[in-house]
Amino acid sequence: MATATVVASGLTLRYGRTTALDRVSVGLDDGVTGLLGPNGAGKTTLLRILATAIAPDAGELTTLGQDPRSAAGRLAVRRRLGYLPQNPGFHPQFTAFEFVDYVAILKELVDRRARHEEVRRVLGLVGLDGQRSVRIKALSGGTRQRVALAAALLADPALLILDEPTVGLDPEQRLRFRELVAACGEGRTVLLSTHQTEDVMTVCQRVIVIDRGRIRFEGGPGDLAAVAEGRVWTSATRAGTALAAWRTGTGTYRNIGDPPPGADLTPPSIEDGYLLLLDAAAEREPA
Amino acid sequence: MTTVEWHVPDEELDRYAAGAAPPPWRWSTEAHVSGCARCRERLADAAPALVAAAWARLDATLDATLAAAGRGPLETVLVRCGVRDHTARLLAATPVLRLSWFAAVGLTLALAAGAAHLARAMAAPIPFLAVAPLLPLVGVAISFGPGVDPTYELALVAPMHTFRLLLVRCAAVLTTTTVLTAAASLALPAYGLVVLAWLLPALLLMLVCLALTPRWGPVRAAIAVGLGWTVLLLSTIRFDTGRSELFAPAGQLVVAAGVAVAAALLVKVRHGFESGVR
Repeated sequence: MATATVVASGLTLRYGRTTALDRVSVGLDDGVTGLLGPNGAGKTTLLRILATAIAPDAGELTTLGQDPRSAAGRLAVRRRLGYLPQNPGFHPQFTAFEFVDYVAILKELVDRRARHEEVRRVLGLVGLDGQRSVRIKALSGGTRQRVALAAALLADPALLILDEPTVGLDPEQRLRFRELVAACGEGRTVLLSTHQTEDVMTVCQRVIVIDRGRIRFEGGPGDLAAVAEGRVWTSATRAGTALAAWRTGTGTYRNIGDPPPGADLTPPSIEDGYLLLLDAAAEREPA
Repeated sequence: MTTVEWHVPDEELDRYAAGAAPPPWRWSTEAHVSGCARCRERLADAAPALVAAAWARLDATLDATLAAAGRGPLETVLVRCGVRDHTARLLAATPVLRLSWFAAVGLTLALAAGAAHLARAMAAPIPFLAVAPLLPLVGVAISFGPGVDPTYELALVAPMHTFRLLLVRCAAVLTTTTVLTAAASLALPAYGLVVLAWLLPALLLMLVCLALTPRWGPVRAAIAVGLGWTVLLLSTIRFDTGRSELFAPAGQLVVAAGVAVAAALLVKVRHGFESGVR
């Protein structure tokens, strides 16, 4: 029986008196999993733990069959890990090739010929063949993200962790980046953190919703939409009972919440399900 | 359009592939093969290793050109000095190893040496000896860490041990500041050997700072150590004679013992560098 890439149970981490992660249990397997949640929900903390950047205060974690608490286990995970942090830093004086080459050295690719071949391969994968010699400081934000993704793809990682890679990208760049991420999910485990439901709709096979340090949902994108089944309706005016309502392009209002009798129900989207989940969590645990 | 009708005989092609063809035949075969697709294919079939080696040479040439064209001045100097290319690249990514840092170190040393020169009635060049150990300390504090190195998080989760990367960078910082400080020492010949008494304290401060870094982070650790050095200096200095026990032979022995203890402590806490700051 194949083992899951990541099995985590009861992960807890506190920053002083704030609980950033509260007994989080997740399992990840091949394909792209979206980690959806508002700012400050605990997404980055969870990703940093899974990427071995920080250790949790409590909980069990097995990544790629290894225990990251031990030095040997951590090293084994790091050798098969690709990580794109939330704000990937760059050495702006480096060219795209030099930067990825630098990360390749950190990934223990010491033989120059093999390393350069690998750097060319990953830059090719993200479509940067023609910009290898351009300095990072001269590249656009979207292209820099592709350079960072290329660095994360070095040595063909079994687990790829991407922390909000589409933030700050324009719509076209976002579209291209989603294409790349979808391609990366073939044959490996990808965890994509985002607060954009479109990212989840377009590239993820599974979705995890996290809010206030707790997992609120785990399932397929369709299941997340189904959370709002029978709770989305359209009306000519804003419904007073709606938890959220907005006017659409057609001039009618889209309402989410408990519909009044005879309401004109409409099929829910992932966004509707996500909003309802967050609202339910806020009601249960007011800030 | 001309058609090549003659082709290299099999035995000559085999000799060429084996590297056994004497010069006139070798040149003739090379000239022919470059213009005859059929013989090129025969040669590739007969000697795949030869073709692979040719591609490898081409790759290496392209890589060397690309790498050399993109190298910054520091990396170029390091490679010319015999540093291996991957180590040179690691060092080129060290935030502190920039012209502005070297200029700042040079200026600080010049001012300290100037102050010591003016106070030459003292037994030791106290301004110089007080400031010089702080320079590698500051250099180390801004070499690696969150908020200092833009790629800190990437380096942290990479398989290369963070401690090793830190040591490589510290060695570079210590070497460069030591050379500059030793050069500045030459400007104070009147004091004799005591002018070199900054070296052991410099090592001590750097090692203590590194040992505290996993717990406090590089900047807080450096500030704490710097303050500790100031207090230690002020408590041992005799202002009437300008003498400090720290720079006397007995004091230097104590500092040397401190260096050994700090080094042992650093080895003990080295795994603390493998996890990030929350």
